[in-house]
Amino acid sequence: MNTYTKVTPEIVSELSTIVGNNNLISDFDRMENYGHDETSKEEYGHMPEVVVMPQSCEQVAQVMRLATRYHIPVTPRGAGSGLSGGAIPLFGGIVLSVEKMNKVLEIDEKNLTVTAEAGIITNELNNQVIEHKLFFAGYPMSLETCFLGGNIAENAGGGRAVKYGVTGRYVLGLEIVTPDGRIVNLGGKVTKDVSGYDLKQLYIGSEGTLGIITKATIKLLGLPTAKADLLVPFKTAEEAIAVVSVIMTKGIVPTSIEFMDRTSLQMSCNYLNETLPLEKVGAMLLIELDGSEEKQVEADMISVGDLCEANGAMEVYIAEDKNTQERIWSVRRNIAEALKVYSPVQSLEDIVVPIGSIPLVLPKLTMLSEKYGVTIPCYGHAGDGNLHATIVKNPESTMEHWHEIEPMILRELYAFIVTELGGKISGEHGIGIKRREFLREVISDTEYDLFCALKKAFDPQMIMNPGKIIRIQ
Amino acid sequence: MNEIWTLSEQHGGKLKDVSFELLARGRALADTLQSQLCTVVLGNKIDDKELESLIFHGADTVFYVENPCLGDMVCEIYAMVLAYLVGEYTPHVLLAAATTTGRSVLPYLAVKIHTGLTADCTDLAIEKETGNLLQTRPAIGGNIMATIKTPNHRPQMATVRPKSYKALAEDRSRSGKVVRVAWNPEWNDTRVQVLSYREECGNSSSLEEADIVVSGGKGLKKRENFRLIEELADSLGGQVGASRDAVDRGWASYPHQVGLSGKTISPKLYLAVGISGAVQHLAGIKTAEYIVAINSDEHANILQVADFALVGDLFAILPQLLRRLGTQGGEK
Amino acid sequence: MYIVVPIKQVPETSNVQMDKETGTMIRSASEAIVNPLDLYALETALQIKERTGGRITVITMGPLGAAKVLKEAIAMGCDDAIHLSDRAFGGSDTWATSYTLASAIRKLGKVDLVIAGERATDGDTGQVGPGLASWLDMGLVTYTSHIEELTDTYLIAERLLEEGYQKVKATLPVVLTVVKEIAIPRLPTLKGKKRAMHMTIPLLGAKDLGLENADLGLLGSPTRVVKIESPKISRACTVVKATDDSSIQEGIDKLMLFLASKELLGKGVAK
Repeated sequence: MNTYTKVTPEIVSELSTIVGNNNLISDFDRMENYGHDETSKEEYGHMPEVVVMPQSCEQVAQVMRLATRYHIPVTPRGAGSGLSGGAIPLFGGIVLSVEKMNKVLEIDEKNLTVTAEAGIITNELNNQVIEHKLFFAGYPMSLETCFLGGNIAENAGGGRAVKYGVTGRYVLGLEIVTPDGRIVNLGGKVTKDVSGYDLKQLYIGSEGTLGIITKATIKLLGLPTAKADLLVPFKTAEEAIAVVSVIMTKGIVPTSIEFMDRTSLQMSCNYLNETLPLEKVGAMLLIELDGSEEKQVEADMISVGDLCEANGAMEVYIAEDKNTQERIWSVRRNIAEALKVYSPVQSLEDIVVPIGSIPLVLPKLTMLSEKYGVTIPCYGHAGDGNLHATIVKNPESTMEHWHEIEPMILRELYAFIVTELGGKISGEHGIGIKRREFLREVISDTEYDLFCALKKAFDPQMIMNPGKIIRIQ
Repeated sequence: MNEIWTLSEQHGGKLKDVSFELLARGRALADTLQSQLCTVVLGNKIDDKELESLIFHGADTVFYVENPCLGDMVCEIYAMVLAYLVGEYTPHVLLAAATTTGRSVLPYLAVKIHTGLTADCTDLAIEKETGNLLQTRPAIGGNIMATIKTPNHRPQMATVRPKSYKALAEDRSRSGKVVRVAWNPEWNDTRVQVLSYREECGNSSSLEEADIVVSGGKGLKKRENFRLIEELADSLGGQVGASRDAVDRGWASYPHQVGLSGKTISPKLYLAVGISGAVQHLAGIKTAEYIVAINSDEHANILQVADFALVGDLFAILPQLLRRLGTQGGEK
Repeated sequence: MYIVVPIKQVPETSNVQMDKETGTMIRSASEAIVNPLDLYALETALQIKERTGGRITVITMGPLGAAKVLKEAIAMGCDDAIHLSDRAFGGSDTWATSYTLASAIRKLGKVDLVIAGERATDGDTGQVGPGLASWLDMGLVTYTSHIEELTDTYLIAERLLEEGYQKVKATLPVVLTVVKEIAIPRLPTLKGKKRAMHMTIPLLGAKDLGLENADLGLLGSPTRVVKIESPKISRACTVVKATDDSSIQEGIDKLMLFLASKELLGKGVAK
């Protein structure tokens, strides 16, 4: 077991000479927010010993050099909106929050790129580039809070991945601070690059275990001017899911195809006091199309709508008016919150399977929910095969019982997803601490060994966000 | 000549506060023009004392029209009576409150007598050179202030936002006259009849007319938590408001909704709890005298328009604040 | 039952950002939508049609692009639409707008109900609905929150007033303006959309309505906008962070002082 140095008052004062007194928190009450993310605080939370908020890459490097010198673990942190415990300081030590590095440095209209610091709110970044009729296509769903740095570290996905792919696809360049406090620039503004190992790609989705992202150059696309949504109810979830591959093989690529099962819809509608016609509805698809030509989007909308109708849709609702679009997306976006209000004890899953296998996931969920007496509402990015099945504790059962069955359900689910369907246990939320032990069980020894070797090569002292993805020996 | 008129509102024979606010507005305009301030009361069996109080609050003349069918506002009838009075006395300006009454009757009347009407004004002034009424109102969600004139049509008509002006103190030494206008049977109109009335859950005073409004938003998380807002409103002596999010989720009913698709209000104090402050919401409260926000997000929009903000967990703050208000209230 | 629903195209404002210096909306991201409050009028009309049968005509006055909101209404289930568009209509105030709309509605023959939204979210006057009733010489029921009974000759409805609900009985034809409480708007359907796409919406100008330019648009409007200003936000916000027990107490102290200094305390009913 690795033993780390405790953060002493002397170390705190050394840190404060680096970042300044105002950018350091060491009193217990104010540090509390930095001890958890969006996962359950009780289950995964852990307090830091000190929180620093550097204002430049150079300061980050100095903090890392200090941490290396004293052998103190450092956990990088964005907005804290993660769903796998990636930003939790498992071993205490220093939480390094990039919240004060939040500037857009350059919008390059010639090269269609934006360069910004890691702590900018992604939504804010997008608002700024929208003024130039450009947009960051890889930006995920937790629209209002997440930071760019966090999105890259988790390689966040989100609602538009069907057409545009995930965050990583748009990262052209990264500025990284290594665990021993060196600064390195990877990539740049080029779209092609085989000049050696693709380290940039390695950092994307590395959950802060290999270094700290301080700056990124993002590829932008022209802002689509036309958008249309379809909300399509089906009698059964299976029918709804079956349509996904039908649409995907017809040459029209929707921006997103979201799936919502009956329970998710009902909970969200109750929460929002929304009255969608849910009678006899087993599930709905929410399909978004975008483009630069209104006529084309309209034609696509009709083609997709016709396909749905030909494949069992009970009705095809459309939303071309922004107000209406907002209304139906709000149902999709509020599912997670609504489920939390219904039962705060739950496990929000992030399984991903090849899209052809989606129909096989649902019967398994039904089986598990019956076998263990839990509710498993399921919604998510059907177009990517990425489903947020959420295992919700039965409000009547005890916590002891929950703690006993939760890992059993997950084990059974993950084994099925990975071995039977060729899927993965996380599509966009990451492993963090939440899925670490499960990951070990579903990947091969060789893959795990390579993970460990990689970690050791980049972070020999094991101070960079230790305990995430893989165990600390 | 150049008379300024207001339409006084009554409910159940009692004059509403907003009637006195209008008089204060009208008085200022009449004084500028060195002319008379008249007010019209339409009602049934209204006490002389009530009518007199209008004089004590600034009116020179009170035109009172009495009839059983004037007890409640019926737009067609009110408009006919007003059209007659306007034709007879040719006032320079006619003001009404931007209430459900004023905002129904005046546009109906404006068409009948072919004149202009400006809705929901927050500021009125007299243009020096012409003596025309300058009517200023917020537009496009309160993001611009537009000043509007009615250069060639008379009377110049405006509805005025309640609470945007203070009533004058009562001055019992003021004198004036009450003119009782005889009922003309031609004014009977039976197309719309009032059948009954019920107050909404005992809410005695409306949001628009409240001095203090405490509003809750999405930050409250659950319907059950919304009672914190009710308690806070209670202990401050205010009314309960809600953001659109809160109303859409069914935590409060639509009459409580503040903002672009709800009510636009100008209370003395607007206390926004757990409301981030979407542009539409801010549009409804920009003319409040003081805005206080309790919010967990220091970057929330609401802070841009607030005078005072407590940034922190509202579930930790509110119980403490209620306790404090409870003890201070007890001292009173 | 023949129902006419006047609707308006307004700029969308929900995701608009505020310019921190001037306090005005950054308009670049805005686009045009059906006035959200008109959706309640459309839904009310559609529900009546479902109950009693009949026909719904939607009508709008606005530039050519405004045909979009009419198609949206058709996609929701309305039967037909009329688009009033003419350079002469430009700059209309509520008087001229209601005059123009009323002239077109008069041409439709016997109308039983005109159902309008309470107001538009851009102009925010709420004057066009009552103005229509006046021009058409129909009864007027504003702020309608519920229709209790509807027959061929009369309706009984509730109005949402400041302090409560008023029940009224109105003889048809009548103009209703409705509030959000009355109904939850349905979503447009693909079937409706296809109908809308194949429909030619009559486009009428001043000549078609037999109207004189002098009564229309800016010329015919009694009111004039003489000045537009951006209100300055002059509030300087005192921000107090209340993150733990002691800072909450301090924060509340400061808040109480603030309220007391503005004479906002002491009206409470707390016992």
